[in-house]
Amino acid sequence: MTKPVELPQGTLEMLILKAVSLGPLHGYGILLRIQQISGERLEILQGSFYTAIYRLERQGWIKGKWGESENNRRARFYSLTAAGRRQLKAESAKWTDMAAVVAGILDKKAGEI
Amino acid sequence: MSLFAAIRKLWHSIAPRTHGDVEEEFRSTLDAYQDDLIRHGLPEEEARRKARIDLGQPAAQYDTYRDAIGLRLFDELGGDLRHGLRALRRNPGFAVVAVFSLALGIGATTAMFSLIYAILLHPFPYVGADRIMNPHAISEQHPDVFQWFTLSKAQCDDLRLAAPVDSVLGFTSGHLEITNDGLPEDISGVYLTENADTFFGVRPLFGRMIEPFDADHPVVVLNYRFWQRRFAGDPHVIGRTLEMDHDSYTIVGVMPRSFAFFDKSVGDVYLPASLMRAVANGPAPSFLPWIKLRPHVTVAAANAALEPIVFEMATHHSRVSGWHLGLQPIIVPYQQKTGRTLRLLLAGVVLLLIIGCANCSILLLARGRTRQHELAIRSAIGASRWRIVRQLLVEALVISCTGAVVGVAASYWLARFPLSLSPDSFPAESVIRINASVLAFSVGLALLCGILFGLAPALRLSRNDPARSLPGRQAGVVAAPRKHRWSVLIAAQVALTLLLMATAGTAIHSFLELMQMPLGYDPANVMELGMGLHFHDPAQWRRIQSREARTAYIEQIREKIASVPGILTVAVGTDATPPYSDPVNTDSSFNIDGTRDREQSQARVILVGQQYFAALHIPLLQGRIWNTDENTRGDFIAVVNRAFATRYLSSSNALGRQLRIAGLPLQDHFTASSAQSTAWRQIIGVVGDARNDGVDRPVVPAIYLPYTTVMRQYVQFFVRTQGDPLTYLHSIRAAVASVASDQQISNGAFTLNEAIERDAQYSRQRLFSILFGVFSAMALGLALVGIFSLVAYSVAQRTTEFGVRLALGAPRTHVLWIAVRIALVSAAAGMVIGLALDSFLGVVLAHWMQSAFAAGSLLAAATLLALGAFLACLLPARHAIAVPPAESLRYE
Repeated sequence: MTKPVELPQGTLEMLILKAVSLGPLHGYGILLRIQQISGERLEILQGSFYTAIYRLERQGWIKGKWGESENNRRARFYSLTAAGRRQLKAESAKWTDMAAVVAGILDKKAGEI
Repeated sequence: MSLFAAIRKLWHSIAPRTHGDVEEEFRSTLDAYQDDLIRHGLPEEEARRKARIDLGQPAAQYDTYRDAIGLRLFDELGGDLRHGLRALRRNPGFAVVAVFSLALGIGATTAMFSLIYAILLHPFPYVGADRIMNPHAISEQHPDVFQWFTLSKAQCDDLRLAAPVDSVLGFTSGHLEITNDGLPEDISGVYLTENADTFFGVRPLFGRMIEPFDADHPVVVLNYRFWQRRFAGDPHVIGRTLEMDHDSYTIVGVMPRSFAFFDKSVGDVYLPASLMRAVANGPAPSFLPWIKLRPHVTVAAANAALEPIVFEMATHHSRVSGWHLGLQPIIVPYQQKTGRTLRLLLAGVVLLLIIGCANCSILLLARGRTRQHELAIRSAIGASRWRIVRQLLVEALVISCTGAVVGVAASYWLARFPLSLSPDSFPAESVIRINASVLAFSVGLALLCGILFGLAPALRLSRNDPARSLPGRQAGVVAAPRKHRWSVLIAAQVALTLLLMATAGTAIHSFLELMQMPLGYDPANVMELGMGLHFHDPAQWRRIQSREARTAYIEQIREKIASVPGILTVAVGTDATPPYSDPVNTDSSFNIDGTRDREQSQARVILVGQQYFAALHIPLLQGRIWNTDENTRGDFIAVVNRAFATRYLSSSNALGRQLRIAGLPLQDHFTASSAQSTAWRQIIGVVGDARNDGVDRPVVPAIYLPYTTVMRQYVQFFVRTQGDPLTYLHSIRAAVASVASDQQISNGAFTLNEAIERDAQYSRQRLFSILFGVFSAMALGLALVGIFSLVAYSVAQRTTEFGVRLALGAPRTHVLWIAVRIALVSAAAGMVIGLALDSFLGVVLAHWMQSAFAAGSLLAAATLLALGAFLACLLPARHAIAVPPAESLRYE
């Protein structure tokens, strides 16, 4: 089993946006999707999960709508709004940039500095 | 229904999802997770438990939701608010005293602010009122001397073309008689240039204002009060006619109540300037100008630009050299006249507010000691200090906002009070009302007060060490911890109260002094009645134009009035109303025989009939008063007052001396003067000094002459009656009508006591003494309540301690001393500070109030305050020794 990874502050929101961008999902579905994509390596702090969802909905980046789940339960499905899509794009670009910079610094050998 | 919808919509935008919605969603997630866990092989009970441990309780989810969307602070504040209200309800005595202390201060301050707002900030209803200027000519040698000047209508139009000028209004006032029904009535008409509507920009209540197309058309616009009085507020008055001076005018508009142009001579009706009749042989009508500047033009720039234009127009006035033009914003005279009064009153109410706040602080601190246990528990179970401070502040704000609501409601009446006491000091157009700015002011004030008086107790009480306070429940025997803050507050409160009381003392003292000042005449039961003679109607005027005919006419009316039963004496006069026996312009210079001409020989010339002295009870000291024949002739005799005799005739007997007044007669189209009015006159009598320069000023040397010496187009009657003179008005009207049915009587009949009340100094002193008296009584009450409740609380707290002391044999006086010591010492310290403060500030304040600083009243105030403070300490402290020791110990 691979080692679990802890999420840096503020990245949970981005992951939720990414998960929802692939199609409407209910809360538990988002949880599963993130774990599935990450290859079960992310241990999401459950308590903060819904806080993040509420906050994203408040910002207008995702939109909730009641519907039927796969096992015929009533569930609230979230989908990405246009604003959410823009936000996801901006956030991922920022993240990639930052990761590249940090990785670049860490890759430097002693002689190169 | 729509209101509910609006509220629901607002609520929805704050908290879009309901409790049930959030919980249901959470449950569905919980169930899905639980199912997953069961599928992975956990037993159902175990899966259920694990799901809840991992995800949380559904019931708490809504809190998580509100927290996430930022409503947590809101929720907590709501909780604090509910808690605060509950705490107040639990302790109604405390709540009433605290709310009342603040309501007094906030109410008085709001009232004063709305007064200042109405009088100094927004007194006029005109559009661009701050750009409207009153032009006058200022003497270069004496900058405080200035003169109004008038322009012709054409000159007004020329001035309008000048670059910095937006528009010019020309106006003049005149008297008119209503002639079509019943008894004739004298009303005041203001003639306005026909641009009045755009110049003022005030929307009429009905109809319209004077418009350019009204030129030469007989139309009239009514003033609100006149409309109420004459037409009983009839809304269908537009289109009807009003007959004035035998001409018909069509009523085209009614102005709103706030429009009371202009100043003290508010017009009853407004007419187009082109209707201003050129009086036969008189000069062309001239108008006082008001200049509205263009926006962003400074007064100095406008002065420089307009000066050459105005002076070129005024060349025929022949006083151009040595004068320059001064534009004065129309608000300035009021700022000068009432600004200082209002500032003083504002200082008074702010003191009252501070005292109220201090009172609340004391109450909160005192009560806080009973709450220490509760607060200690809260902090012991994890409440942060900030959280406790916040809760205590919210409680304080609940008190202050309740106080503000009560105070603002009261201020509605309080603000009217100064206006009714001193109506002439304030612009006629300022209407006191509670508006948005005033409300915003009082809400701000409430918040400020809440924080001001709540912060100190909150910080003090939140600094609780739970370890010490929790067991402290039993440690009532231990002497109470530091109380420095109480003592400081008590001392400050007492000092400020003393300051207010001493100010009130000074005001009341000087007002009493003013009231006791001998007037030199007896104003009781004397009324002044003015009459304009028929000068508008050429035919009528010809009948009484000659001096002899006019004298006969006036004497006939005088005798008719005198024959009314109950009327004791009737005297004639011209501008001779005390306490301001106002000559037509300034004092006149004169010569006395046998003395060298002195430039400074000036005296007030007062024109009266021979009955004047009897009507006003002015005593005759020497010689005699002139008789009827001498009165008719007018020349060769004079009566002087004592001030004249002592000042100018000190060396010899006054009687028989000769004097001559070169300044007479006054040149005027309507004036008729006697043949020898400037010839030598013999002094035949000396009368006592009656106030003639205001109630508080020394009597000016005066020469009384028969009124027939210089006769004008109006006349006064002084009527002494049995009982209230105003009740005789109707019979006097009938008596006058029996002489000449169309002779009007001016509406402004007033008693001589009213004339005193209108005196500027008198009304200001009365205003100060009444208002500061009220303020200081309130402050005294607040301070005593503060001391009383502090001692009462601390005695209640320390019952056990006192019981132990008494049981151990402490003398009762000692226990009593311990109970009152802190309060008494702080009150004494406050007295000392107050006395020091007042001996320093009192002189300044007295100067502001234009009255003498009275050390005696300070002493009286201090004694009263000391006595009150002593009683306020002693009364609750008696309980400390009243409880038998055994009983107080049993409390444990």
